[in-house]
Amino acid sequence: MAKEGLFKIGGLENVQINIGKIVSEEDEWEPMGPVPCPEVEDMRHWYMKLLDRYPPFYAPYCDMCCLCTFGKCDLTGNKKGACGLDMRGQQARFVLIACCMGASAHCGHGRHMLHSLIDMFGADVPVDLGTQINVEAPIMRTVIGVKPKVLGDFAKAFDYVEEQIAQMMDATHTGQEGSYLDYEAKAYHVGMLDSLAKEASDMIQMIAFKYPMGADVPLVDIGVGCVDTDKPIILVIGHNVIPSVAIIDYLDEHDMRDLVEVAGICCTAIDNTRYDFKAKVVGAIGRQLRFVRSGVADVIVVDEQCIRADIVEQAQRVQAPLIATNNKALYGLPERSGDPAEEIIEDLASGKMAAVAILDPEKVAEVVPKLAMIMKNKRKNIRTLPSDAEQKEYAARCYDCGNCVLACPQGLPIDRAMQELAAGNPEPMSILFDKCVGCGRCEQVCKWEIPIVDVMQKTALKQVKSEKFKMRVGRGPVLDTEIRNVGAPLVLGTIPGVIAVVGCGNYPDGTEDVYKIAREFALRKYIVVATGCGAMDMALYRNEEGETIYEEFPGGFEAGGVVNIGSCVSNAHIHGAAIKVASIFARRNLRGNMDEIADYILNRVGAAGVAWGAMSQKAASIGTGVEVWGVPVVVGPHGAKYRHAHIGRKDDLTKWDVYNMRDGSKVRCEPAPEHLILGAETVEEAIPLLARLCMRPVDNPSGRQIKLTHYMDLSMKYLGAYHDDWPIFVRSETDLPLARKEEYLKVLEKDYGWKIDWDSKKILEGPLRKQDPQFDPTNLERLLKGAE
Amino acid sequence: MNTIPFDPGCVPGPEMARLADPRTIGIAIKRAKRPILVVGAEILKDDLIDKAIEIGKKGTPIAATAHSMKTFVEKGYTDNVFMCNMHPLANNFTRNDWMGFDGKGNYDVIVFLGVTYYWSSQMMSAVKNFATNPLRMAVSIDRYYHPNAKMSFENIRDTEQFKSMVDEVIAQL
Ligand code: SF4
Ligand code: SF4
Ligand code: SF4
Repeated sequence: MAKEGLFKIGGLENVQINIGKIVSEEDEWEPMGPVPCPEVEDMRHWYMKLLDRYPPFYAPYCDMCCLCTFGKCDLTGNKKGACGLDMRGQQARFVLIACCMGASAHCGHGRHMLHSLIDMFGADVPVDLGTQINVEAPIMRTVIGVKPKVLGDFAKAFDYVEEQIAQMMDATHTGQEGSYLDYEAKAYHVGMLDSLAKEASDMIQMIAFKYPMGADVPLVDIGVGCVDTDKPIILVIGHNVIPSVAIIDYLDEHDMRDLVEVAGICCTAIDNTRYDFKAKVVGAIGRQLRFVRSGVADVIVVDEQCIRADIVEQAQRVQAPLIATNNKALYGLPERSGDPAEEIIEDLASGKMAAVAILDPEKVAEVVPKLAMIMKNKRKNIRTLPSDAEQKEYAARCYDCGNCVLACPQGLPIDRAMQELAAGNPEPMSILFDKCVGCGRCEQVCKWEIPIVDVMQKTALKQVKSEKFKMRVGRGPVLDTEIRNVGAPLVLGTIPGVIAVVGCGNYPDGTEDVYKIAREFALRKYIVVATGCGAMDMALYRNEEGETIYEEFPGGFEAGGVVNIGSCVSNAHIHGAAIKVASIFARRNLRGNMDEIADYILNRVGAAGVAWGAMSQKAASIGTGVEVWGVPVVVGPHGAKYRHAHIGRKDDLTKWDVYNMRDGSKVRCEPAPEHLILGAETVEEAIPLLARLCMRPVDNPSGRQIKLTHYMDLSMKYLGAYHDDWPIFVRSETDLPLARKEEYLKVLEKDYGWKIDWDSKKILEGPLRKQDPQFDPTNLERLLKGAE
Repeated sequence: MNTIPFDPGCVPGPEMARLADPRTIGIAIKRAKRPILVVGAEILKDDLIDKAIEIGKKGTPIAATAHSMKTFVEKGYTDNVFMCNMHPLANNFTRNDWMGFDGKGNYDVIVFLGVTYYWSSQMMSAVKNFATNPLRMAVSIDRYYHPNAKMSFENIRDTEQFKSMVDEVIAQL
């Protein structure tokens, strides 16, 4: 696509000619860098640098390919299919397909919202983020070189992303790309596009709906127990907040807001609370089937993404009418936007129709509140969970075949729990409730048609009803003023890192995992940021003082802060914060300069993401989009099904050479960060791993000392031992944890053969390199002095 | 005896593990030049860690993944136990230039015990597909049928039966 203000003349790239409106409007803020609106080949040098240091490891999820009618092809043992593509290529192609699906969901969602918002407010709504944010869209500035001034400007981001996704998806067609590395490079490209699409998507809703920002956003209610069952309840599920906002506006305008509950599941829930602090959050994706089945909702409104494909059937089961509001998820329903609201209400309330699609948000708002009032009355005697007698009968029906255990993605021992329940002990079943991801697969295979999900929920009912917690409202971007405060300590390492809790609710061992991770790092004065399912799930626990994590820790982007950034699309602000460190603290130019900024982050910003419940294709594109900006990611064990990992090799030190920008010399560094994406089986494994992945070559001695102290402490706490390669991170005695310096010096001498001067307690020989305060690391040749 | 994977959807393709009895698996490990036992989080259930230690004591090195190392330390057995993360370890199994924990070379028979099903299944898939020349073999002595292994038990519901099968493997070493 044409790059604004950038032309290629006779092979001379990056010769800028300032003509036309675009340049005269926008050129004043920063000179254009070398890679504005990059095609994949423009950024391939960066993607390949990452892939050289962090080569892909493949664990095929399926040994076959069935994508074309040449096949099925058996690729076992890295064989080639009929088209010539081998197993590695096929795995990498799948990664690219998953990333394209994820990025399309974010981009499609954003584009859809942009159309609606322009319809509602016009294209000229100014981008006004208050006095504490000047760098308003760091990803957009960096990637496409555009500084958005009004709502309509964001169309440029979506135009670019849409074209690029089509190009990248094209590459997955049979007979296109043949190199697994180039598939991976394209996946990185799509990860980058995903981050841009998310940023634009969140920015447009923020500026149109004037979402609150900053550390002092209020706490709102989260948990099933917060939903007032005396009121009619509207349940909204999905990610696109526009219909929900229309419902809330309608309720306000008709003085009905306090009469009706608007409760949400998934990111629509988070974004509702950014618009209306009275909105309730039921929880993340794992609660969807179970909350619907509880029958509490009087009307169910779905928009897009992460909705169960059988939601219509599930809603029917509890006699709650359902409205589909987005053309991406129509479920075969008739579209009724053109019909009078009263007619639609009558059809749904009478049971003539169980569900309809209404794509006009205004019409949704006219229908849903009134319908909820009617249904509340009609549904008051509906009992959805089993009675005590039914519960007994169900448990007694179980003949212990174990099919449910095999079907369960978590392998939960449902069979044993059912036997215990039949014997009068509900406890084992109730314990499973938190570990269950609410998928319903168990019920599909139970030949005795036991409604296992309902039976389990009934055993946990007391605990579920008592779920009343507080979540801080998603606050959007990190303020420039906050970056000014933490930029230096973050880059020097004295704030040991940023831990970003992202991803879905597909946890291996229950929702408490994310709470444990977040709290451990917040107590150690890391900055903890969270979005989406993770931000919701970590709110569901309390400390000994009875405080939720959002009450225990401050909401600022500061040491020891626990920051709810917002919904899935908001997680672009996490990349944005790292980019702003480069811009505000280090004064790097962003515009058209993605490779330099990602290189800056990789070498300097000690951040690591954790997608503990990685599940959807969006999580794939999100994770890849985090990596490509230079931030490593740890996924939970289900994440191994994404088929690849990017694993650094500490035993091949040549991969860790980094240039010193000051003199162009090559410096052999410690492996920091060691990997870019990998999995962990347990939370106890993930925690020390995250601490390890926060190390960066540029850490100063006190920063490295703090990071190493936490890494060693956490290893001891959770693993009972240190990884035997820990000395690789020690550059001099000043890097060693202070409290145990002498002990570690002895170990280094005895077990690793290092030479120590015991009079001065200095290391004489042993470290890979010395700490150099002048070290200005880069992986990019073009940044070296004298480079073209 | 049946070959339904513990997660029935986990049917990878034409090459699926041979069901093998404990004795056969034990003999295969015994005959290996450089066997290794890989354990994970489930080793902490049902006293399986004691079985791992018995295998370790018979000379097979142990790769302690997840947070299993802590229990080896508590049990006072760390002689030939190497703490590591699973993903880099599995990556190493697919490389011919990895010299193993002792610097003497990669391993030829990789035995999995006490690892979350879908997690080890993926790692065995990596071994099956990419550790092919020279051939390295993933073997499961877990309580599940693991199609991505070369040899595996079937799904075993009874814990005592499972433990006695592991004992039978150990008896061959
Ligand atoms: S795309 Fe290639 S590998 Fe896949 S089925 Fe067709 S020929 Fe076989
Ligand atoms: S609904 Fe829960 S118990 Fe049933 S299969 Fe899914 S995760 Fe397992
Ligand atoms: S599938 Fe049904 S009958 Fe079989 S063990 Fe599970 S609950 Fe019992």
